[in-house]
Amino acid sequence: MKRAKHQEGSGGKLQRTVVPEARQLRKEAGDWLKQRRAEAGLSQVALAERLGMKYYTFISQVENGFSRVPTEAMEAWAIQLGLEPSEFAKHLLLYYEPELYRLLFGKRK
Amino acid sequence: MSVLTFERKQGAELWSEAELHILLPALNAALASEDGREWETGMTERGDAQFYLLGPLPDQACELCVSRICGRYILEDGSGRLLFEHQSLAVIALHAKAAVRSTRWSLVARAVLLWCMIRHTIHEKVEPLLIESEEILVHLAPQLAAFA
Repeated sequence: MKRAKHQEGSGGKLQRTVVPEARQLRKEAGDWLKQRRAEAGLSQVALAERLGMKYYTFISQVENGFSRVPTEAMEAWAIQLGLEPSEFAKHLLLYYEPELYRLLFGKRK
Repeated sequence: MSVLTFERKQGAELWSEAELHILLPALNAALASEDGREWETGMTERGDAQFYLLGPLPDQACELCVSRICGRYILEDGSGRLLFEHQSLAVIALHAKAAVRSTRWSLVARAVLLWCMIRHTIHEKVEPLLIESEEILVHLAPQLAAFA
């Protein structure tokens, strides 16, 4: 079995290996979504209910940076978070496809 | 019976040793590949434990997620599709193992389909051209031989 990449440091603390950029950006997207959800006054459960999900676990999956908001669900997420769908999708593109974002909209200010 | 060993990760305390000993061997084939696949653990806002099987580098996107909510286990894919739910983690692990296998088989199926399409294109487009040039050669060969 493959060993976990986290290893015990000299001080007994667990040290993380370098996180790939895509993963780091997904985490930043997740943090941004978490903030928007908090501003909308919704819990993960409430957002999942509004999105018609049986469980709220996928919301957590996305906010923890392990998954993306699926393209086909972006509009519904934006509406439930009280955001403009096109701006919402554009902002997520910045994290999910940074190179495509740069080509379409130039460098982020 | 041999017991597989693994290092516990930071945050993995949300999952018991017994639970990880059920999940990890089931996903052993995926995790043993040298393409950067890893597993991580996390927690929902309400403190429910989540286990993520990450895909290969460089993206390492979630392929499967097992969540434990009130003693019930939920298996989802990386798009939030509910694959299975059950009270027994062993049953969930079996489904997770099958889901990983089906992901691999779908890749094989796509490769085979691509190969068939290439073969079909060659058969449809290139072979008539070859036959045509062969016919021209058959017609020209005696004339060329006469000139020689």
